[in-house]
Amino acid sequence: MRYRLLILLCLLALPLWELGAHAMIVARVPSPEDYRAAADFMRGQLRERDLISAAPSFSDPILRQLLGDRMPLAMAGRSDDAAYERLWVLSSRGALPPDVPKGAPELTRSFGELRVLRYALPPSRILFDFVSAWSTAEASITRNGAAQPCPLRTGGVPRGGGLGRGVLTPVARRFECDARLPWLFIADVVLEDLDNRPRHCLWQHPQGSEPITLTYRDVPLGAELVFYAGIYYEHERMREGGPIDAVISIDGQPRATFHHKDGDGFRSLRVPTASIGKPRADVSVSVTAPQPRARSFCWTATTRAPAGAP
Amino acid sequence: MSAAERFGVKPRARDQLVGFGLCSAYVALLMRTAPAIGMARDEGIYVDAAQRYGAWLELLLKAPRSALARSASDAAFTANHEHPPLMKLLFALGHLAQRELQLFGSDSLGFRFAGMLSAGLLLWLIYLFGTRLYGRSAGLFAALVYALLPRPFYHAHLNAFDVPITCASTAVIYAYYRALSQPSAAWLTGLFFGLALLTKHNSWLLPIMLGLHFALCAGVELLARSRGQPARLRLVPYGLLALAIGPLIFYAGWPWLWHDTWPRLRAYAAFHLHHEYYNMEYFGVNYFWPPFPSSYAWVMTLFTVPLTTLALGIAGALRGLWVCAQSLRPLLVTAPPTATRSQPLAADPGPTLATAPDLQPSAAPRHDPTLPSVLLAGAMLAPLLLISLPGTPIFGGTKHWFPAYPMLALFAGRAFAEAASLIAPRARARRLSQGLTLALAAWLLAPAAVETAHSHPFALSHYTAIAGGVPGAAEKGMNRQFWGFTTRSLVPYLREVLPNGGQLYVCDTIYWAFDMLIRDGHLPPSFRATGDIARADYALVHHEKHFAEVDHQIWTTYGHVQPAHVLLYDGVPIISVYKNPRR
Repeated sequence: MRYRLLILLCLLALPLWELGAHAMIVARVPSPEDYRAAADFMRGQLRERDLISAAPSFSDPILRQLLGDRMPLAMAGRSDDAAYERLWVLSSRGALPPDVPKGAPELTRSFGELRVLRYALPPSRILFDFVSAWSTAEASITRNGAAQPCPLRTGGVPRGGGLGRGVLTPVARRFECDARLPWLFIADVVLEDLDNRPRHCLWQHPQGSEPITLTYRDVPLGAELVFYAGIYYEHERMREGGPIDAVISIDGQPRATFHHKDGDGFRSLRVPTASIGKPRADVSVSVTAPQPRARSFCWTATTRAPAGAP
Repeated sequence: MSAAERFGVKPRARDQLVGFGLCSAYVALLMRTAPAIGMARDEGIYVDAAQRYGAWLELLLKAPRSALARSASDAAFTANHEHPPLMKLLFALGHLAQRELQLFGSDSLGFRFAGMLSAGLLLWLIYLFGTRLYGRSAGLFAALVYALLPRPFYHAHLNAFDVPITCASTAVIYAYYRALSQPSAAWLTGLFFGLALLTKHNSWLLPIMLGLHFALCAGVELLARSRGQPARLRLVPYGLLALAIGPLIFYAGWPWLWHDTWPRLRAYAAFHLHHEYYNMEYFGVNYFWPPFPSSYAWVMTLFTVPLTTLALGIAGALRGLWVCAQSLRPLLVTAPPTATRSQPLAADPGPTLATAPDLQPSAAPRHDPTLPSVLLAGAMLAPLLLISLPGTPIFGGTKHWFPAYPMLALFAGRAFAEAASLIAPRARARRLSQGLTLALAAWLLAPAAVETAHSHPFALSHYTAIAGGVPGAAEKGMNRQFWGFTTRSLVPYLREVLPNGGQLYVCDTIYWAFDMLIRDGHLPPSFRATGDIARADYALVHHEKHFAEVDHQIWTTYGHVQPAHVLLYDGVPIISVYKNPRR
């Protein structure tokens, strides 16, 4: 009987816990006023090379609604934080983004149920951003051994939208490598990677064993070239596609090959450039795939100064 | 406290009145709350099918011979032939009643009424079943427990099949259970099974589950007889035999099967046995292909059923199974006598509260030959176990194991009855005792009532306190929603920013569902859905993990990442709305 009464008391206590927990959860939801005040405060303090982030990640659309005009595609679809020198976090529920630096923030302010935190990041070492400079490069498609230029085109209205459609074409501004095959173009896009994350990158879909190439002239090299690449989520998730190779050449000499196989996701390759012995050079990226169907290769790269360089 | 497996009473006419009252009140509540819930993706498909089936019904009335011709029946029933027609025919009747008589006030309510009615009938059924097993207060409590489950409450509004099949499955189980002691009721088992087959393919499992239960009952009965106990269970499975009526009703009720029967039947079975897989987020991972996590159904039940309800259900199940095991123990340890003799069978051989062995201390515990706790536990666990198989799709969220919930509710009713028996006898005055029982019920149902009210109209985004609520579940990476029905909640915003209408990219909202917003008068006809993000004035993204792709398509097409509006539920984004800068 004693056990039964004990179980009964536990059952009677449960609604108390459940109602209390529910009330607390609802009460801790930040109000629109909290968000507005926090965003106004951040907006007043933002400067160049500031990165804005929300935690938990589900609140990212709210952050973008309030401060999206200060978040270019490159920030929303970044591969790393190297281009930024301060990190602002709009935090609720005590959450922090996974890439937050170790140590205490240099600034903390509370706005109701929200906190605004600011962290110092290392000085940016970025010398050259290949994505932001893509339209200054030269694109070509090789057919039967001969390279033909891919002209820069503008205009056209992308069709459709929705699941499984990937990047919508035609992209408004692009190097068009084959007008009959709308996926054979080079341009900056935002692509969904294998982790369903946005990647602001250069679309460079292979055509087959012969390359499609993008060449940049007179690129400052620094100490290393950091290359990230992957393909569109639905083209990779079944692990059924063939491999892709991207050859990175400096002054016409192949320096590294980025090999993608399905399941790799969006990952990086570091190419040391200090040993080349010259401060500037031409850099090209040539993409091939023996089975080019649904190989939506997309990459981003930067050259970076040595650590500690002014 | 009762040590009997069941201690209920035979439902009487006034119990039917209580059941009717429950049913009517619930349907009225559903009709009142339905306008806030936009049409879901699947509902849109069934609206299209129901309109075609409705046209066929009209033809059947006007020119039966023409309607029964293959050309006419195939033309109507080709639509959505992946699912049997019963509910779609009922949706069609609601639609025709609305069209001809303006019976429901809106087109969507016309289509949805039959689904709501099935939810009301399910409460009626739970009350009767609970009354028979554990008494009236337990039956009433069980019905209310089911009514106050947030996700089933949402689904109860829809012209879909998940609540109707829950109702039909429960009816089959109840009829089978009654047939164990009353063979004259066996035909009901067959009738309900036929209706279940005509409702949804979940019904295919019922004969297996009931067959296993009867095999166990028969085994126990034979053992008991071999131990010298009198015969208490008929060994002819009338209820199971009556299931044979089911396929005949299924065939007769589905005109699609009247021609090319076997190929079409095979295609129907193949569609469900090799069902396409859809995306479902679970703890931050987007699952789209087997193996699926075996923990899914259990964790989702924990995260979506109010904790008090769940605890009561589990407590009632454990108690029932414990009592069952205790009552069977003497059979297993007693040596068989030298001779046995059967006795005449009682109409209803199980003990009631008045005759329960524990109230007669000198009597040895006597097992209930119908093993009701085993039946309920089996019916509760079977759907969950099936979903736990790594190859079973999990895209339906919790709805695919809804048939488990009436059983959970019945067990909760048992736990409530036992808890009340601990409290109420201590109160001397009868009125005080009744008051205490009422207060106990209100207290135990309060969290479920609060959670269910709070979940409306975002129930597919709703998670209970144990998951951390809506924001806690979002942080854990649990699915935010599916079916695109939440577009309805954007209507005030859309009317404000597009007073003269415009083109909307509606993401996961299917055309027929969007069209219903216009048919119901929520949006003027000047609003149009478009499949082109670039041509839309505004583009919507329903936040589900795999729909991040649409966000990115919009960013690339519009050249910015800033939504003009974010629809929130407990601070969690449900829909982002982007303005097209080129329009």
